[in-house]
Amino acid sequence: MIVAASKPFQEIKQMLSGFKKVCVLGCGSCVTICHTGGEKQVTELAAQIRLSAKLEGRQIEVIEDSTLRQCEWEFIDDVKEIIKNCDAILSIACGVGVQYVAERFPKIRVFPGVNTTFMGGPIEQGIFWERCGGCGNCILGTTGGLCPVSRCAKSLLNGPCGGSQNGKCEVSQETPCVWNQIYDQLDTQQLLATMETIVPPKDWTTGMENHPRKMILEHLVMKK
Amino acid sequence: MLTNKACATSDKKINEEAPCILSCPIRQDARDYVQLIARGRFSEAYRLVRERNPLPSACGRICTHPCETKCRRNSTESPIAIAWLKRFLGDNFSEETRKKTTEKYPEKIAIIGAGPAGLAAANDLALLGYSCTIFESNPTPGGMLRMGVPPYRLPRTAIDNDVEFIKKLGVEIKYNTTLGADITFDSLKKEGFSTIFISVGLLESRTLNIEGVTLGGVLKGVSFLHEANTTGNAKIGKNVLVIGGGAVAMDCARTALRLKPDKVSVACLESRKEMPTTDFEIEETIHEGAILYNSVGPKRILGKNGRVAGLETLKVKYVFDEQKRFNPAFYESSESIIEADTIILAIGQASNLSFLKGQEGIQVTRGGTIIVNPNTFSASVQGIYAGGDIVLGRGTMTESMAQGKKAAIAIHNILRNTALQDEKWAEKPAVPDIAESRIPLIKKEQKHDMPTMPSDKRLTNFDEVELGFPLNTAVKEAQRCMNCGAGAFVDDNLCVGCLTCVRVCPFEVPKIKKGDTTAYIDGDCQSCGLCIVECPAKAISFKTPLEDRGKNTLDAVFQEKFIQGVKPLIINFYCQYSAYNEDKADTVDSLLFLHVKRIGMLGLGKVDPSLYLKAFELGAHGVLVTACKDDDCHFCKEREWVERRTRFTARLLSGLGMDTKRFQTHFVSSQNGKEIIEIIFKMVEELRNLL
Repeated sequence: MIVAASKPFQEIKQMLSGFKKVCVLGCGSCVTICHTGGEKQVTELAAQIRLSAKLEGRQIEVIEDSTLRQCEWEFIDDVKEIIKNCDAILSIACGVGVQYVAERFPKIRVFPGVNTTFMGGPIEQGIFWERCGGCGNCILGTTGGLCPVSRCAKSLLNGPCGGSQNGKCEVSQETPCVWNQIYDQLDTQQLLATMETIVPPKDWTTGMENHPRKMILEHLVMKK
Repeated sequence: MLTNKACATSDKKINEEAPCILSCPIRQDARDYVQLIARGRFSEAYRLVRERNPLPSACGRICTHPCETKCRRNSTESPIAIAWLKRFLGDNFSEETRKKTTEKYPEKIAIIGAGPAGLAAANDLALLGYSCTIFESNPTPGGMLRMGVPPYRLPRTAIDNDVEFIKKLGVEIKYNTTLGADITFDSLKKEGFSTIFISVGLLESRTLNIEGVTLGGVLKGVSFLHEANTTGNAKIGKNVLVIGGGAVAMDCARTALRLKPDKVSVACLESRKEMPTTDFEIEETIHEGAILYNSVGPKRILGKNGRVAGLETLKVKYVFDEQKRFNPAFYESSESIIEADTIILAIGQASNLSFLKGQEGIQVTRGGTIIVNPNTFSASVQGIYAGGDIVLGRGTMTESMAQGKKAAIAIHNILRNTALQDEKWAEKPAVPDIAESRIPLIKKEQKHDMPTMPSDKRLTNFDEVELGFPLNTAVKEAQRCMNCGAGAFVDDNLCVGCLTCVRVCPFEVPKIKKGDTTAYIDGDCQSCGLCIVECPAKAISFKTPLEDRGKNTLDAVFQEKFIQGVKPLIINFYCQYSAYNEDKADTVDSLLFLHVKRIGMLGLGKVDPSLYLKAFELGAHGVLVTACKDDDCHFCKEREWVERRTRFTARLLSGLGMDTKRFQTHFVSSQNGKEIIEIIFKMVEELRNLL
């Protein structure tokens, strides 16, 4: 899933300064699951905005709502009526959702309430790790199911590097060295020999080097 | 609200009912009144009881409480003292409950007998809008409650209090009026009573068909109790033997003990485990000094000079045969003798149908009970209905009340040609037993003992033995309740399957089964509310409206007119589980009434951090969270959650530039002790300086 982190409140406050009627709009998908953009966070953020205004003697009306997914036109249309009288929308969906909302309501200012951070998941309650770099050319089959593109600080394809110390990455002692983990995993699977194969440079044009990417499923495309 | 999703439907919420409610013949809302007591909402609890139960004070004392037998707390240690809690309400609270209907129907209804069935029928018929008159042969109300149940178990004031309520509904009771003697079916009809409900009970004692029953000194249980209960002195000798093993036998023995003979014994067919009364009654009987002979059957009563000299008994092989029918068998040549100069037969009751003379149309069974249609309670003559022991043959107080209540609706439906139904009697599955693996996760909390009169003081009088729960004990006892069937539930339409509930539940209740996309919370939910707060999709809520997680209470605080002028105003969110740890239950409230508004909850794990923000938003100058210390936590794990959430809230508030003194969290052992008063005083002072 897409993981997003809440923006600092001061930044949000700054973005919303001057607006009188704001809708805090949550998204019921990835950001709900990572506890930064669901209905619960809509309530909390709206309360913060109202309280902040009260403390500073400002007037602001805050409307709270959510959609099932902000990255679908049909779901956004569900909140059309509520949004139409607002001066601004604070979307706490990922960047995709924010853009969909902005595109659907071109006359209303739309602001992001979260920083979209990475593709990953919770390894335990409240702790999320990046797990995929979206490189467009997956090699997990040869690395024991561990992604060096997203989990190695250097995205090395032939690791580990000299910075791997006692199983940790030299960049941060909190971060396990994924190449150390790949080694252990391949050892478990009795595939250590594959470590000796030199992987040639990857075709990065399928990844972030080639924005914006697009996917077409021709069998599903309907004629307009 | 995710607008593209349907809202939860109410019938989805409550699919399983608490066993305590289902097992009650009148479907008393046991769980809910216990939960209200646990929250200190006594008047509401009383009202809830009274709305369903016409005789709460009496019921709280002598009910056989099948609710407690079925209570799911039996799996962890012992059941909730549901009946004693009802008594606590009946003894200490009293107020107008249900409004009388504005409907007034012309039919006059005669009810024969002011026992539990008759009183219940009159109560419910009056509430439906009928004018009811009860004809009672005794000079006082209560029926067998008064004639049969000794005052040391059920003080007469308790019966009178209950009956007073029924009378207030407009029910008239005519005493000293016996059907068949003072009034007849015909005379009632002439007086305009188109409908007659017979609830005369079983007034005779069953007798034994053995040698010697006619000897002097052989007494019938019901007559003995009637005599003792009305005059206070029945004639007995020095060595009394009660035959029987049920509640009436125990009553006879304990009553006899108070008449100061040298010795009182009880002999019954059943083994101790088979005896058809509660353990508590048996224990109290033995405790007061009676000697119990189990598994002995009466062979003959021995006499001397025309008076009882003893009972010859046989050893019992079995009481119930393979088909579980009552069919006792004895060992041959196992005779022994229990000496006695008085024998009281308490082996069951029988009807006296003499009032039916000339009413041959009313069909009766061979056992002497009146035959009625089980759905309509109508006897075989139009306009005549019957219920209670005279139909059941042998029933408990609550079973009789249930008959009266059901008959009231049936009579109404026939008279009005309607199909009114009491939804409480609808069939529902019971919340299943607690999963074995979960029992160790639930905190053991022992049942509170009923304070009783010291045994050396009991036998000199007929004063009530059980003294009733004091307020703190009642609340603590009620707080053991697991709120079965009313805990959290997941709205399938809102759940995103994020697994948060699965991970945070301290009792490991929520599950997402293979193939499902949403979480499911079963009846083992302990109602801590942690998952409700943590659910990012707000998909989880409590099944009953009883638990608002502080929201309505907070709103209500700011509805008060004078509140805006109070400075500083502190909202104190506190845990009710430690609110009754000290005797002075309302010290804090009265001391700091002006500056502190308190919002109590059964566990602060139910509080959303956004509610703390809302308190400030509504105008509070400070928010004080006072939670239980570790060892006190009813749910075992809430402290860490309270810490986590209050830290999170504090961070949000300091992000808004708020002084940290305005939001404080403390862990205290009592919500009413010195410690908390000091905390509050200090905070009020700090805020005074700040504002």
